[in-house]
Amino acid sequence: MISFESTEDENAFVSIAQKIASENIRPYARESENKGMIRNDMIKVVNELGFLKLEEPESYGGLQLPLISQVQIQAALSYGDLGIVQGLPGLADGASLLRSMEPKQMNKDQQKLVCEGESTIAFIDDINDKAMGKRLSLTKSGTNYTLHGTSQPTRLGQMANHLILAVLDEEGCPVICWMDKKHHHLKVNKGDYRFGLLAASIAKISFDNEIISQDQVIATGEKADQLIRRTHTRIQIIQAAKQVGLMQAALDYATEYTAMRKAFDQVIAKFQGVSFQIARMVIETRIANHLVWEAATVADKNTEEAEGPALRAIQRAHQGVRYVTNSAVQLLGGHGYVKDYPVEKWMRDAQAQVMLYGREKNYLIRRGKQTLATKEKAVIT
Amino acid sequence: MISFTLSEQQQQIKEMTHWFAKHEMRPISMVADKIGNVPEEWLDKVNQMGIHLNTSSFSNDKNDSANKRGRKEQEGNRMGVIATEEIAWGDPAIALSLPGAGLGGPPIQSSGTKEQKERFLTIFKKDKARWGAYALTEPEAGSDASAIQMTAKKVSGGYILNGQKIFITNGSRASWVVVFATADATLGRAGQRAFVVEKGTPGFSSTRLVEKMGLRANETAELLFEDCFVPIENLLGGEQLYKRSRSDQSGFEMAMKTFDSTRPIVAAMAIGIARAAFEYTLDVVQRDFPTSGKFYYLATEMLAEIDGNIAAARLLTWEAAWKADLGLANAKEAAMCKAYAGQMALDVCAKCLELLGPTGLEGHIVEKLYRDVKVFDIFEGTNEIQHLVIARRQYEPYGIRV
Repeated sequence: MISFESTEDENAFVSIAQKIASENIRPYARESENKGMIRNDMIKVVNELGFLKLEEPESYGGLQLPLISQVQIQAALSYGDLGIVQGLPGLADGASLLRSMEPKQMNKDQQKLVCEGESTIAFIDDINDKAMGKRLSLTKSGTNYTLHGTSQPTRLGQMANHLILAVLDEEGCPVICWMDKKHHHLKVNKGDYRFGLLAASIAKISFDNEIISQDQVIATGEKADQLIRRTHTRIQIIQAAKQVGLMQAALDYATEYTAMRKAFDQVIAKFQGVSFQIARMVIETRIANHLVWEAATVADKNTEEAEGPALRAIQRAHQGVRYVTNSAVQLLGGHGYVKDYPVEKWMRDAQAQVMLYGREKNYLIRRGKQTLATKEKAVIT
Repeated sequence: MISFTLSEQQQQIKEMTHWFAKHEMRPISMVADKIGNVPEEWLDKVNQMGIHLNTSSFSNDKNDSANKRGRKEQEGNRMGVIATEEIAWGDPAIALSLPGAGLGGPPIQSSGTKEQKERFLTIFKKDKARWGAYALTEPEAGSDASAIQMTAKKVSGGYILNGQKIFITNGSRASWVVVFATADATLGRAGQRAFVVEKGTPGFSSTRLVEKMGLRANETAELLFEDCFVPIENLLGGEQLYKRSRSDQSGFEMAMKTFDSTRPIVAAMAIGIARAAFEYTLDVVQRDFPTSGKFYYLATEMLAEIDGNIAAARLLTWEAAWKADLGLANAKEAAMCKAYAGQMALDVCAKCLELLGPTGLEGHIVEKLYRDVKVFDIFEGTNEIQHLVIARRQYEPYGIRV
């Protein structure tokens, strides 16, 4: 039955997340950006409430929430500040990989590391953007692999103590492997980031012919391909949800500002050039939200079937988050451009988020290929 | 619980209406467009099958306990948008020509007296095809519905109507028309009233059927009211309704409330049109386009955009219908789905024509759909009016009326 009504549990979770977003996240957004890190007391609060473990399987000590519940919570948290949410420690995108695994696909040592509870994982994905060429080379040598090269800028790259890598080997075969930073001599390139998501601990990681032993390999070949597809689907849905939260924040801020700001003797909301822009932002935000919800509900039943809806959701969220945050800056005029107001940060964060999580055109082409490849009509529910 | 899975009943309705659209509507689509009407024998046949255009399934009592938990949830609006998408997929002009109360149904359903509902909504029987209609727009008042100039002068036993209505779907063939007029201009919107004017009433006539860019098979009439006496029994809701709460039960409010249930239906039609164009074009691309290179990538990108936009419009529409089923205020959502779907569908048809290229100019249904779909961004409130409604709701918490 078609319904847009959240469950009581979801409402309770969201209500707490909204409180955290307004009291613990939003007030510290600028500080976190300026320092490039997040206060420990904030991390503690978020962690105690379980918000760092929404996606983690119960067997790893996580909450293992359905995606439809997670996306509502992530949107509510990101309403506070996307930059902070993206810089929170934990398994992050790596949790989606764990969630997508077959039971026992990870060996006991690897499981133990995850269960330590202090792990922060950076997910280095050299496959999702393969059309632009590989950054990393993975060569098979006996039973081991040798990894060389420098990753793309990766979220949590600085603070992570573990890495999960999705890489193509020299034959183009996908390999998913695991690295504990302390057992490898990796170079973390902190870089000179000025653009957006500055508290997200973004860094490039360089590998100088690092040996990856067989027990660090999680999956190869077809298994790795399936696993990475499922993981991508889950990540895309969760990230799109965060973007919805940012869109809603920018929309609400711009609405309030235009309701208060006066020009030509009246509040500027009364000018149709302004109010119609707000209306378009309302529509875009609602669309992005609903596409995320739809993808999440499909994924909760069957992740494979959610590949298309997830591509649709992330593509639209990519489009929408840039449109809405840019519109918010525009509606605030000169005030929108200066750091006295949060919208300029949100606009930068939005664009940085889009750059970290895949190209909109790429998603369109992938979705289009799926549509063309099937005789089944893609939009018939 | 959030869900986008159709219930068993919704799925059945969808499949049944799709079958009808595919096997009964689509085969006569291009012919009906060419001759400029839907053949009478076809309309009689579908009427005997019990297929009607019904847009009036919304919950009309926001305090109805049936809408609260514990009793079976109403789903008429969701059923309505699901079914409407399918029949519009078949052909929008024919869909609008289907017998039934059409857009005239909702105001009677929501505001009519028990006697009026009995009189006007039970005439749609299998013995003969009948229509209802809704007349609000005038030559000088379209988007600004509060500015209608048609007058209703109170006289003994009823009202005398004078004025003109334009762009009235099925207005000439309708057995009755819900007509909005101003009874007391000094009261502004509160002075408006709605009447049900029956065909054959002296002083009421259809003066012209207009020719249009699209929806050519559907009748669009101009109506004239010259000293047209309408008995008090035909004042929608009766005198008591307006005396009880003058402020929110004017004819204007009734007209606006009607839109809350009809706009999702119109949006669903636009989605059906977009889907028809998309599916037709997808077949052509799959059959005729190269499987690599520039044109292949052009097609993949455009088809993905179309697919996503249709899905987005459908979700907005479902939300508006879902809220209506629960008896929740849905004016904002109704305006959102209408605004987005109308524009989206036109854009989809344009993209499909671009993919078809010059061959799309003749003998393909997409060019017809493009002509048909433009008005979905105009009628039942233009895109600009929808934006106004959305903005008004958005600024409501700040006490600002845009």
